[in-house]
Amino acid sequence: MIEPKVDGDLYYFNYSQYINPGLVKEFEKKYDVRVIQSYFDAMEPMLAKLRAGNTYDVIFPTAEYVQRLIQQEQILRIPRDKLENLDNIYSYFDDPWYDPDSAHSVPYSLYITGIGYRADVIDNMTGSWNDLGNEEAAGRIYMLDDYQEALAAGNLLHGFDMNTVVESELEQTKEWLIGLKPLLRGYSVDTITNMSSGNAWIEHLWNGDIINIRYRVDDPDTIQFQKCSEGFPVGSDAFCIPVNAEHPGTALKFIDFMCDPKNAARNVNWNGYPMPNRGQDQTFADLAKDDPNIVVTIDDLEGGDQFANLPQEDRELWTNTFLEVKAS
Amino acid sequence: MSENRFAHLLLAPAGLWLALLFAVPLGIVVAVSLGTTDPIYQAVYGWHPENYADVFDPLFTPVLLRSVGFALATVVLCLLIGYPIAYYIARFGGRWKTLLIALVVLPFLVNYLVRTYAWVAILSDEGLVNGIVTDAGLSENGVRFLNTPWAVIGGLVYGYLAFMILPLYAALDRMDPALIEAGKDLYGSRWQTFWHVTWPAAFQGVAAGCVLVFLPAVGDFISAQLLGGADTYMVGNLIQQQFLEAANWPFGAALTIVMMAFLLIWLSIYLRSAARASREATA
Repeated sequence: MIEPKVDGDLYYFNYSQYINPGLVKEFEKKYDVRVIQSYFDAMEPMLAKLRAGNTYDVIFPTAEYVQRLIQQEQILRIPRDKLENLDNIYSYFDDPWYDPDSAHSVPYSLYITGIGYRADVIDNMTGSWNDLGNEEAAGRIYMLDDYQEALAAGNLLHGFDMNTVVESELEQTKEWLIGLKPLLRGYSVDTITNMSSGNAWIEHLWNGDIINIRYRVDDPDTIQFQKCSEGFPVGSDAFCIPVNAEHPGTALKFIDFMCDPKNAARNVNWNGYPMPNRGQDQTFADLAKDDPNIVVTIDDLEGGDQFANLPQEDRELWTNTFLEVKAS
Repeated sequence: MSENRFAHLLLAPAGLWLALLFAVPLGIVVAVSLGTTDPIYQAVYGWHPENYADVFDPLFTPVLLRSVGFALATVVLCLLIGYPIAYYIARFGGRWKTLLIALVVLPFLVNYLVRTYAWVAILSDEGLVNGIVTDAGLSENGVRFLNTPWAVIGGLVYGYLAFMILPLYAALDRMDPALIEAGKDLYGSRWQTFWHVTWPAAFQGVAAGCVLVFLPAVGDFISAQLLGGADTYMVGNLIQQQFLEAANWPFGAALTIVMMAFLLIWLSIYLRSAARASREATA
């Protein structure tokens, strides 16, 4: 069993702009270590790099990938009783669907996928995923460059199970996605830049990015978030420690540090994504006071659609479907 | 030690370099291209030649045609822009020649990715160029430059222009200016002199420039990624997508090998024609 004590510098692997850099600096100072940061922009490249032999001490997989990493025995057990700040975490995560007894992961952030739009130039949003094909925003619409999110939007719109692997259903979703292409400006995960630069009027994005876009524009009220009426992906990601981590002790210290209620509040205020940590409740409520749509509730997690851990051949069916959309 | 043995010894550092940093990695790419992946994306070596069959799936035809089309447009534009520049520097650069060539090369010391990001800032809807366009009253709502095929081709031209200018300059600079005077003495018009004297004399520079621009442009993914839109997917993006988003390294590697073979054909045609030209020149 690993112990939460500093055993070297922290090799950290996360999405970029997904953690308050001030907290990272503070952690370095407090424990006299360096944090060596690397970034990924999707789960697959993260896993591919990890499996190609790179060693990291802490990684941030989404829930369905946590389950897969446990199945493949790629992450260490977390000695929960040796960490001080886990009491602040919502009880939903005591025994989440992807990690029995939360034995291998500590939840990090919560997200909902929806549609961001510029309320000053678009006045005909309907509440549906079909708004990604809103003619009034032709040429100023971006979809997420993410096969899971793109297919999920189409599957939900058509009333299919979000995680469907029925080929005829995926075919319909594919046709819908191809039909959107003439209206799209592009596929991109750089949602904050797209919207704050004025290039996007309608943008397929994650809730937390809305906060960061508002931080960057002159009139934050023009940036709105729509939760789509046909249903929406909701989920969480987590801190995990890979089996080949060289400094798991420092990683545990880092996880505990981030779960400190005050630090959680500061992190949420910076990155805009709610954490399932009671310490941040008031801070996030303040951020979301004019916009209840960006809140992720436990009801959302329990009743909403979460991405499933698809078997390899089904996952290939999904990636190939999105590839056909992009290559067409 | 014979002189010959000594000469071979001189090749040892370069040979070692090539073996370690080119041949071995290429061998790994070939090995991966025949493999498969485990459930969490580790490439597993094996014998799966069907990866290569997948490369020729008609699904990818539009991607391949688009890549070749964009690269050819890039070559033509680089030639049209680069030839006058190279000609001017070679013929009229005088004592500024070195400085002018340095100015051509200077931007290339900055990373291509960073330079392309600069274009994103310059060309965005509310960026510098559109600010000038709207202030000058040329267009009310500005012009959409970014995320179009033109932006991708523009990015490629900007990215690889120096590869055209440098060989053209070398060829034009080597040319004896007396040849042009001779053409004029024989009552050739400017155009006739150019077409019958300068163009053939510097043609090897044109060919080298075209090949040097075409090869990287056809495999480029940065320009389409940053400046392109939903309809500008190139083969470089496809390969990148297989390595990253799909985490299918075997198929990405198979695509890479087929791409290299395709480029090698063009390179060998060029090298043979260059060798023939140099034989004819010395004959």
